[in-house]
This record gives sequence, C-alpha cells and structure tokens, in this order.
Amino acid sequence: MSRIARTAPAGIALALAVTLSACGSSGGDVAADEKQTLTVWAMGAEGEKLADVAEVYEKANPNITVKVTPIGWDVAHQKLVSAAAAGTLPDVAQMGGTYMGEFSELGVLEPVDTEVFDKKDFFPAGWEQGEVDGTAYGVPWYVDTRVLYYRTDLAEKAGVTEAPTDWKGLKGLATAYQEKAGTKWGLSIQPSGLDTVQNFSSFLYSAGGEIVNDKGEAVVDSPEAVKALKEYGSYFDKGLSNKSVQPGYDVVKDFGNGRVPMFFGGPWHVTLLNEGQPQIKGKWAIANVPADASSTSMAGGSSLVVSKDSEHKAAATEFIKYLTDTKGQSDWYERTKDLPANTSAWESGTLADDADLQIFKKQMDTAKSSPSLANWSEITDKVDQAIAKVTQGKASAEDALKTAQSEIEGLVKQ
Amino acid sequence: MSTTTEKARGPRKAGAAPSPAAGGSRGRKPSMGVQNAAGWLFSTPFLVLFTVFMAFPILATLVMSFTDFGLRNVTRPWEAEFIGFENYVNLFGDEKFLKSLFNTGYFVVIGVPLTIGIGLVVAVLLNNGIDRARTFFRVGFYAPVVTTIVAVAVVWRFVLDPSDGLIAGLFSEVGWTAPDFLGSETLAMPSLIVMAVWRNVGTVMVLFIAGLQAIPTEVREAAKLDGASVWQEFRSITIPLLRPTVLYATVITTIGYLNVFEEPFVMTQGGPSDSTLTVSLNMYREGFNFFHMGYASAMAYVLFVVIMGITVLQLRLLKDNTK
Repeated sequence: MSRIARTAPAGIALALAVTLSACGSSGGDVAADEKQTLTVWAMGAEGEKLADVAEVYEKANPNITVKVTPIGWDVAHQKLVSAAAAGTLPDVAQMGGTYMGEFSELGVLEPVDTEVFDKKDFFPAGWEQGEVDGTAYGVPWYVDTRVLYYRTDLAEKAGVTEAPTDWKGLKGLATAYQEKAGTKWGLSIQPSGLDTVQNFSSFLYSAGGEIVNDKGEAVVDSPEAVKALKEYGSYFDKGLSNKSVQPGYDVVKDFGNGRVPMFFGGPWHVTLLNEGQPQIKGKWAIANVPADASSTSMAGGSSLVVSKDSEHKAAATEFIKYLTDTKGQSDWYERTKDLPANTSAWESGTLADDADLQIFKKQMDTAKSSPSLANWSEITDKVDQAIAKVTQGKASAEDALKTAQSEIEGLVKQ
Repeated sequence: MSTTTEKARGPRKAGAAPSPAAGGSRGRKPSMGVQNAAGWLFSTPFLVLFTVFMAFPILATLVMSFTDFGLRNVTRPWEAEFIGFENYVNLFGDEKFLKSLFNTGYFVVIGVPLTIGIGLVVAVLLNNGIDRARTFFRVGFYAPVVTTIVAVAVVWRFVLDPSDGLIAGLFSEVGWTAPDFLGSETLAMPSLIVMAVWRNVGTVMVLFIAGLQAIPTEVREAAKLDGASVWQEFRSITIPLLRPTVLYATVITTIGYLNVFEEPFVMTQGGPSDSTLTVSLNMYREGFNFFHMGYASAMAYVLFVVIMGITVLQLRLLKDNTK
C-alpha cells in the first residue's frame, strides 16, 4: 500500500510533465514550402466535402498533406473546448461565429494576418464575426442569413400576389393565409426555449434595436427593442403563431403540408425543401426580411481559425487563402451550396445570375452578426426568457425587457 | 440433472482440489509479500481506472466548487481564484437554483410512489395471474427500460402533441380540445413524471418479480390453508417478506429521480419558464453552456448532500419498520 501510495502521485506527476512539455514545444515554425502535414477540423457536411477539396489542394502543393477530420455539429463545441484545454487543437479549425468570443478568451487562436486577408473582400457581417475587440481571429469561410420563405400558391388563394415588404404587410399576409386560405398558422416563429433570440433578431435588428451595442453596453430595453418584441408577441396573441413549439421542431414538413405558410429560414432550407418536399416545387418563394426601420437580418456562418500552438502557421495561412479567395469560394459554393463570404465570388456564374441568390446577397449586405462576447450564450439566454414571458402572456414587452436589461448589465460588466 | 449427479458423487474429496500441501515440504504457501503483490497486480487496472475516472474528478470537482473556475480557466486553471463558500452562499440566493431544487423534489415526491406502486402491482399480477401471456407482458413492461431516450422522446412527443398527437386525437373524438401538455407550466412536469414512470416501472417490476419468487410457496400455502383471502395473503405475507426489495427499489428509484436529466433535456429543455428545470439540467447548463464550472460544481455537491441525506433517511425509516 505504502509503496503504491508513494509511486502513484509520482507517476501522475510524470505523465503531467510529459503532456505539458509536449504542449509547450511550439517553437520553430515550419516554412510553407517544407514537407508537412496540416491537420484540419471541420463540422458536419463541410467536414466531409472539405476532404475532396483537400485532395485537389494536395495535387497542386505536393509538399503538403492535408488531414481533414469531420466533426459532428452536436459535439463540435465540446471537442474544441477540450482540445483547447489539452493544447491539442488542429492547425486549422472551422468555427461558428458564436464560438469566437469564447475561444479568443481562452487565448488559443492566432490573430489573422491582415496583410494576407483584406477586410474589404468580405461581407462586413462575415468579417465582424471573426473579430474580437478589434482583432480578427477568423477568416470568414461561408456566411448565412435568414430570409422569409412563403407559399405563393396559398398566398394567391388568400388574394395576395406580392411578397410582404414591411411589418404591416407581413401581418396582413399571415392573417389572410389563416382566414382565406385556411392554414393552421400564419407565420412560424419560435415562442420559447433555447435560441429563440435567433428568430427574434430579424424583428429586433429591423426595428433598429440591439442586445449589446458596439460599446459593449446592454441596450435591450431600448424603445426599438420594445417595439420589436411587442410586434413579435402580437403574433402569439392573435393566434397567428403557435405558442407551443417543442424542442427539435422542424418547420419544413409543416411548410410542405401547408399548415405553416411562412417562416424565416437560412440558405440550407432551399435544398431541404427541394429534396424533402418536392410536391410544393414552384409553389413557394423567398423574400427579404419585411422591414420596419430597415430590412436587417441576422448573419451567421463559419470562419477558419489557426491555432496559436500550431507549428504550421505559414502553410495553414496558405491553405485558408486558397479556400477563401474568389476561385476557392466559387468552387466551394458548387460543392456545398454554402454562401461565399468573399463578395467577389458573387460576380460570376450561378451566384450572379440566380434571382434567389441575389435575395440572399442583398440580405447579407446589411445583415448583423452577434457581438463576439465570451458569455454571449448566457446573455441570449436572458433574452430568450424575456421573449418566452411575452409570447406566453406572462409579462408585457416593457417589463420583460427591463428585467433582461438589468440581468445583462450584470453580465457585460464582468 | 447435473446437480443430481454431483450429489450422487458425494462431497468432493480433498484430493480433487489442488491441495496447498501437495508439493510436500518444498511447496510452501506463497509468502504474504508475494500474495500482496499479486493482489495489487490484479487490482491495478481497476485502481488506475477508478483513480483516473472517479476519484480524481470527484476531488477536482470538490476543489473547483470553492473557486470561481470559468471559461478562461479551461486553458489557465491556475488563474482560478479560491473564493471559499461564495458559490454555496450564492446558490441559496439563486431563484433559478431554488426553483430547480423544488422541481426535482416535486418529481421525486410524485414519481417515486407511483413507480414503486405501479411496479409492485404489475409484478404481483404477473406473478399470480395471467399464466400464458406472462412473457409477453414482462417484455412489454420492460421494453421501455431498454429503449433509448431519443426513441422514447419521439413516441412521447407524438402522444402529447396538442394539435395532432394521440391524446389530442382521442379528445377530439369526444369533442374536447386536448390541453397543451408540454407547453403548459402546470402540466409539463406531470407529463414528464408520467413519462419517467412509464420508463422505470419495468426496472422496479423485475426487482419485485425476483423478490416475489423468492417467497417460499409453503408460506403462501399455509396462509391459504388457514383461510386467508387474497388480500390478507398480500398484506400479511407478501408485503412483509418483500420489504427488503421495496427498500432497495425505493432507494435506487429515489436516487435516479433526484438526478433526473434526460426527460426534461429531450422533451422541454427545462421550459416552459423553467417549470421543468431540474437540478441536473440546471447544473449542465451552468457548466457546459455558460462555463460557470465552479458554480456548477457547488451545485453538484449540494445535490450530492441532498441525495445522501435522503438515502440515509430512507434506509433508517424503512429498515426499522421491518423489525
């Protein structure tokens, strides 16, 4: 017993020492033209498609071997955090816009070389996503934003031929769908639960409101925000939107069967609808987010980051350059239908000609990305709760947002 | 069959077993030191795994619960500050935590008696009644236990869906509107309890069937000869003899329900308005969504103390009654 008791801690200490020294040896960067292996993590469908691109890249750059590891979105966050803690992040990783604040706080990201990547080449919201306190840590890879999806066949039945352009038109169409076309609901927006704020943001930003402004102050009880939440809540008061939506609800099926004639969706919904609901092909369309003060939607997407500990920073930068230049971005769109973050990629081919894509581009030009704060998910949780109180009829928009404001004030100060 | 042949051969002869003295004077018993070494050698895999995956995390969590361990400390743990009992003090001023504690208590107080009660009734019925379909029913009641929570969630969402679910369909047959089970603050928790009971009755049932079958038939027959009714037999024979099983089933069900996480996680995510937020779910969100690791650790230790207290209390109350 005594011997084990003495040797076990020594063993653990030894193991720790080995791990720590392994982490610490990041000195001596390898030049880009030397023979080396680049490790890359990418999520979901992107992870699988990126392996094909990597093969093409390897042929053009024989000295580089790119090892792509696809990671499921559901485990991505946890895997990245534990890799950051263990000092085993890959050379290059894909990161969602909302991760940026957290990982820069962890101090594991290498700032973007702004001599290689120019802010002007990208959508402003795409670039801002990778920026924390004025320093860019991620190069925008692809972007997404929400637009309005609506059923044209049912709108015709309801006597409406034009897409709604403002809040009044949106509510008018929702009512007409229900009254004249006999749909169950008028518009699908999320009433409560995690990330309700994503649905709400189209209203909030269009009214000119924000949760946290660019000075880092909480401003969620502004008159604009109150107005937006009142409008949002009125859809539930009037029975135009479902008060009870369960976690994991997928709107695509109900859009297909006509129960829900309108929703706010991202670019991926085009593919989902074409493949999953072929019976309504040609019976739906997309439009820009109906405006109040402006038509402003939320921006999402992913960036590419380089790990601070990487020994292959030069090669990693080259590889990211390849993925985010005009040619690489057009190629990526053809493979994945992810919207290019580099605006020059939109100037040729399908991207320039397709009317639907131009709607996304127009939305993207003014879209707003969420501030890169480490505790952003905690902040949005407070807003989620305020929205839930209003949609469930428990509080007025003013009171709910006042509560959220004081809670968020406590969170941004830290 | 094999037992009868064994018996026929009679007790094993000493020679059949390897005798320590077989080697004569040279073959001594291995010395204590060697024996100890072998013991340690064989238990090393367990000890290593236990230390790495149980003891160390448990201790680390305890230490962490006295710090302000947050996101930045994931890469710089040494920067976490010791703040004494601050996390624990804050917990008891945290409305959300108190609500989750209340919700968990609600879940246990209603859920445990229902699970034990229904499990016992089902077990007794299966043990006495229906002879032919017994296997069918045993499997039927046990199936939910071995089904993954995701599949269970799909089924229950369909059952509870207020617009086109199973219950909504039944209600509309008679012209009523079904309540919105998971969207209502008063009905969401009871719905989850029903779901949990349905999932756990099978486990308890199996325990009770084993307990029932361990009751000697002679005792029952004697009771019958004395003219005891079915109810009398149940009350005076079955229940007292089943007491150890009841105790065990109650303790494990209570511990399980105090830790309840899966049902609210997949069905409601704690909503609506935190009405189904349990301590475990709250802990998960604080720890892994908001990275308040120190705070979440303190929560874990409060839950641990609660569980230990209730278990000790249960053991004491239920055990004393058996005498």
